[in-house]
Amino acid sequence: MPSLGKPVPHDSAVGHVTGQAPYIDDLPTLAGELCVGFVGSPVAAGRMTRVDTGAALAVPGVVGCFKASDVPGKNSFGLVVVDEPFLADRDVLYVGQPVVVVAATSPAALATARQKVRIECQESEPILDLTESIRRQKFLGPRRRIARGDVAANLNTAPHRLDGVFTTGGQEHFYLESQAAIAYPGEQGQMVVHSSTQNPTEIQAVVAEMLGIGQHEVVCICKRMGGAFGGKESQAAIPAMMAALVAHKTGRPARVVYSKDDDMRVTGKRHAYRCEWEAGFDDAGRIQAVRIAFYSNGGASTDLSLAIMERTLLHADNCYFLPYVELTGQVCFTNLPSNTAFRGFGGPQAMATIENILESIAEHLKIDAFDVRQRNLYGGANSSSSTPKNLHSEDQERIVTPYGQRVEQNHLPEIFATLAAQSQYRRRRVEVAHFNVSSPLFVRGLAMTGVKFGISFTTKFLNQGNALVNVFTDGTIQVSTGATEMGQGVNVKIRQLVADEFGVDLHRVVVMPTSTEKNNNTSPTAASAGTDLNGAAALRACRTIKRRLRRFAALRLADSQAGLAPSSGHIEFRNDQVFDRRRPSEQIPFSQLCDEARRERIDLGARGFYATPGVDFNRETGQGTPFFYFTQGAAVAEVQIDRFTGELTVPRVDLLIDIGRSINPGVDRGQIVGGFIQGLGWVTTEALVYDARGNLLTHSPTTYKIPAVTDVPEVFHVATFDSRNRVPTVYRSKAVGEPPLMLAISVWAAAKNALSYVAPGTPNDLQLPATGEEILRCLTALGAKRCPLQSCSPAAPLDSHALNS
Amino acid sequence: MLDHFLVYVNGIRHEVRGGDAFLSLSDYLRRVCSMVGTKVVCSEGDCGACTVLLGRADDDSPRLVYCPVDSCIQFMFQLEGTHVVTIEALGSSSAPSDVQQAMIVCHGSQCGFCTPGFVMAMTGLNEEREALDEADLRSGLAGNLCRCTGYVPILAAAAQCSHSQRGQIAELFPAEPMLAEFRQRRKQAIEIANERDGRRHVVMSPPDLHSALVMRHAHPEATIIAGGTDIGVRINKSNLLPQKIIDLNRVPELESLVVDRDVMRVGARTTWSAVERACETRVPEFHQIVMRFGGPQIRHVGTVGGNLANASPAADSLPFLFAMDAVIELTSVGGSRRVPITEFYSGYKQFDLRPGELIACIEVPLPADHELLRLYKISRRRDLDIASFTAAVRVQLDGEAIQEAAIAFGAVAPTVIRARRTEAFLLGRPFNEDTMRAAGDVAISEISPLSDIRGTADYRRQLTRNILLKFYHESQAAAVPA
Repeated sequence: MPSLGKPVPHDSAVGHVTGQAPYIDDLPTLAGELCVGFVGSPVAAGRMTRVDTGAALAVPGVVGCFKASDVPGKNSFGLVVVDEPFLADRDVLYVGQPVVVVAATSPAALATARQKVRIECQESEPILDLTESIRRQKFLGPRRRIARGDVAANLNTAPHRLDGVFTTGGQEHFYLESQAAIAYPGEQGQMVVHSSTQNPTEIQAVVAEMLGIGQHEVVCICKRMGGAFGGKESQAAIPAMMAALVAHKTGRPARVVYSKDDDMRVTGKRHAYRCEWEAGFDDAGRIQAVRIAFYSNGGASTDLSLAIMERTLLHADNCYFLPYVELTGQVCFTNLPSNTAFRGFGGPQAMATIENILESIAEHLKIDAFDVRQRNLYGGANSSSSTPKNLHSEDQERIVTPYGQRVEQNHLPEIFATLAAQSQYRRRRVEVAHFNVSSPLFVRGLAMTGVKFGISFTTKFLNQGNALVNVFTDGTIQVSTGATEMGQGVNVKIRQLVADEFGVDLHRVVVMPTSTEKNNNTSPTAASAGTDLNGAAALRACRTIKRRLRRFAALRLADSQAGLAPSSGHIEFRNDQVFDRRRPSEQIPFSQLCDEARRERIDLGARGFYATPGVDFNRETGQGTPFFYFTQGAAVAEVQIDRFTGELTVPRVDLLIDIGRSINPGVDRGQIVGGFIQGLGWVTTEALVYDARGNLLTHSPTTYKIPAVTDVPEVFHVATFDSRNRVPTVYRSKAVGEPPLMLAISVWAAAKNALSYVAPGTPNDLQLPATGEEILRCLTALGAKRCPLQSCSPAAPLDSHALNS
Repeated sequence: MLDHFLVYVNGIRHEVRGGDAFLSLSDYLRRVCSMVGTKVVCSEGDCGACTVLLGRADDDSPRLVYCPVDSCIQFMFQLEGTHVVTIEALGSSSAPSDVQQAMIVCHGSQCGFCTPGFVMAMTGLNEEREALDEADLRSGLAGNLCRCTGYVPILAAAAQCSHSQRGQIAELFPAEPMLAEFRQRRKQAIEIANERDGRRHVVMSPPDLHSALVMRHAHPEATIIAGGTDIGVRINKSNLLPQKIIDLNRVPELESLVVDRDVMRVGARTTWSAVERACETRVPEFHQIVMRFGGPQIRHVGTVGGNLANASPAADSLPFLFAMDAVIELTSVGGSRRVPITEFYSGYKQFDLRPGELIACIEVPLPADHELLRLYKISRRRDLDIASFTAAVRVQLDGEAIQEAAIAFGAVAPTVIRARRTEAFLLGRPFNEDTMRAAGDVAISEISPLSDIRGTADYRRQLTRNILLKFYHESQAAAVPA
């Protein structure tokens, strides 16, 4: 029975629910194994004057304390720019930056020893704030720019102009399994590292460089992660290096498992942004020209910040055609842990910015924001009366992005129209307006926002994947790819692809732990492309084996007496059987064919390799075709705000998303709902608070609030958009990991919309996240506290929001 | 005097001695028993990943009552006479339990790290109550965080098995043999000492109030633990175990709950889940606040006395107790005394508990039918959060005029406070928007808020100013028939 398209449970579901699926810290302890931890910088900026490990070394059970000077190879690393120290040597760049690695025989001894390490510093004034970093021009990497046309002139001639500064907050990944690694020392200096990482190849490379050995002497294995969300794309490196350093120095297995507090304090997060914008638009709200300068809080080193900023610029348009546009992006240095990849990878900040602009335009013109958005959609307004005449003809179609890629298979207008109908947007708009004039306690808001998310790494070379498929003589199959399983279900999808390719039952296929020993030079499992790349590579490996088996089966099933000449082209693999289509009654069990094939010395193992075709982007010119395709969708959120406390609830959400033909609707639905709720956290309750010296104060779930089960909207309609995907992806599926997160921007926009009812005509400057405190700040500024009912006496006419609906 | 604790784990008898007695339950399970199905994430009872079921004797009934608790902040010395049930005791891969099967088919797990905790919490819910509705499931799972699924598939799984038969755990593990053994030891004191890092730690577990008071008198410096939901966090985060501990978990006299027509009397060791049940119909306004007190796992062990003695200005229960003029009863070998709660606290974490005294109980006058009472908790997240601001407003009207007002604020001063000047301002004035707006201005002159993780001082001032207006409008809305 084919499994593709079916909601097969997660590969490890049974292991998860029984507690039998092991994570790093669940692996059995080996004799002599050491517990590893670290002691970090006490200050955010400064120079170390003394590091004293004497008292720590005296603690019974402590085996060693290691510093930068103990690193045999390179002490710095970085995926793009090699500017991140493994262990701080002299200067310290953020609070908690690892300085000393401590190894002990028990967790208790380790805990005691860590408290006894003394690090003294000459503290200097840290840069913690984006504005301060901009003022002092402390930047990481060059400024990036994507532009089209004469923006200044078109801003000047636009009938309306608005500008503003919009800030978005950072976000902690809050993967439940904190960073963890175990290193097992091998023969002749070799090393095996088990790491909770999205990027085993990177772990292999940094461990090799740190130890001063070849990559061929290091194996990195990842069976599963207890969540990652981008936080283990680059930042699994330091803990893995700690374990490897101890294993190398002591010759004993070494295990490091960060506590949740340590993890939150010292690892990077989603970048906070400052976005300075200016927009010119016509009476209908159609954008004529827009200029946005993005500044991201990069933290203390480059990490992936440049690629993240690149994706920001590539998503500042989101679903909307921007005729004249200038987008610039600059990563800023701050004395904080280096910020890093997080689901959406710069896209959320960009999309929130343009959605804020559109919401502001709607408020300014007193037009329903839905109409403003629809008029600005790619391909959404064929009557291009307001489209400037001097654009190229294809721009008249309003279909080309600022970076020159055409939005092919553009479903946005249809998605917006369909969702508006399904969610009864127009009727509810009227209801919201009525509610708001009659409720003294609450004010409601409604908003639809869209998502057009580009799929592919914008760094071209990463768009590759390889797979190893081994078929055994009982007809069972092992698949190994570079994809890592972090909960997103890539393993079960690959298993389904392979099982169906061989026409065998799902139980015959097992996806093996990801290991650099089997799959070399892999890309991180990221950019939503895990299945696209690795699934395609696995299929290619399967097809190589099938080609060999077909040839063999053709001979085996041929019957010269019956006039059946051998023909590979007629061989079918189905229902665990192999047969010639011309005589389907004659079948060989797949297992038997495999066994016989081996006896005929036919190779039953193969590698598959896949490189995404056609993608290319020139970051110097800001032009190209960075994406293989776009995942598109939209969401409508309704929110309710307490007029007196600013408390926000989300009673209803409707979303519609195009994910192509789904390999596994159960898994994909999980990605959609999970991504949305994670985005809900980013736009509402998740706020990072630092003190003036750069200490993160919100370093555990007591103080950092991700959504809980009671934050899930009571009414939550999730639908997928039915379209024929013409892009040649595996099974014609579309990437689903990141895009749904950004649908939650609708919740933020609805909050902003609600505020527009409080004092109609007065703009609000709601920032992101819209915490209760932030909303109350806006309510207070709007004068709501003084006269909450002044603008809503039932006798007053409905405001223009309702009249225009 | 016994030198060990007796704890059953998945039906297996464990005598817990020496250093093991000072381990958290999650460490004991993972490190001593090598049962790694139970996951640890936050070590502070704020995520539910480490949830296990704790079976405790229910008076003299021949059964154990199972409820979900966070094993990261339960310590072995608190667990004498209990049966711990972990994920390992439920179904196997070949024969998963109802809850496990529902989680599999509903795609309730993604990364899987929170999953054992959710499975245990759901199993516990099914043990406690029959026929759970969506609201029960949401509040019942509010103590567990998941970062992957967005909870929707987990709720679907919970709904799928919400009509499962109760008592499945009791069926797996017959209670009587365990209870028989527990009963034999019930009257015996337990004391364990252990050396660690050159420091000596002692835990004393008195079996009755008299011996507890004698110990308290002899060791006034000892840390008192009952539910341990605050002290447990401190032990985990600072790597600092108190040197002397008196554990009150086995003192029966401190566990009581009587709700009369106009007064509620609650023993100090009574858990919040017991209060939650008792208040549901009689004091619904307090019930809705108790329901937001930590998560279910916390309420199953956290005690009323613990909340009083933790003395947080943001404590969820205190504004109500202040506004109702509750009275605390303190007891020692020398006798008892009663202190109004409004006089109990003198400064940040300072309170009138003398050496040798224990909090015995609290007596809370209940609101009369004609009184208006509203309790407020403003937090960043609705559930499983510590308040940024709390308030209790109780008003009695005489016609249009305010005859009596009691207003308490939390998280805006070093202690919870009664806003006496605001109350005085309100007396005799008409209950209307103008009065309440003006009262808000008086109220902010009575508070001294700080800026901290949970909000700026300005935010707290805005809330203080607005909450009385909100109270007014809510009263008006409640008065108008829907």
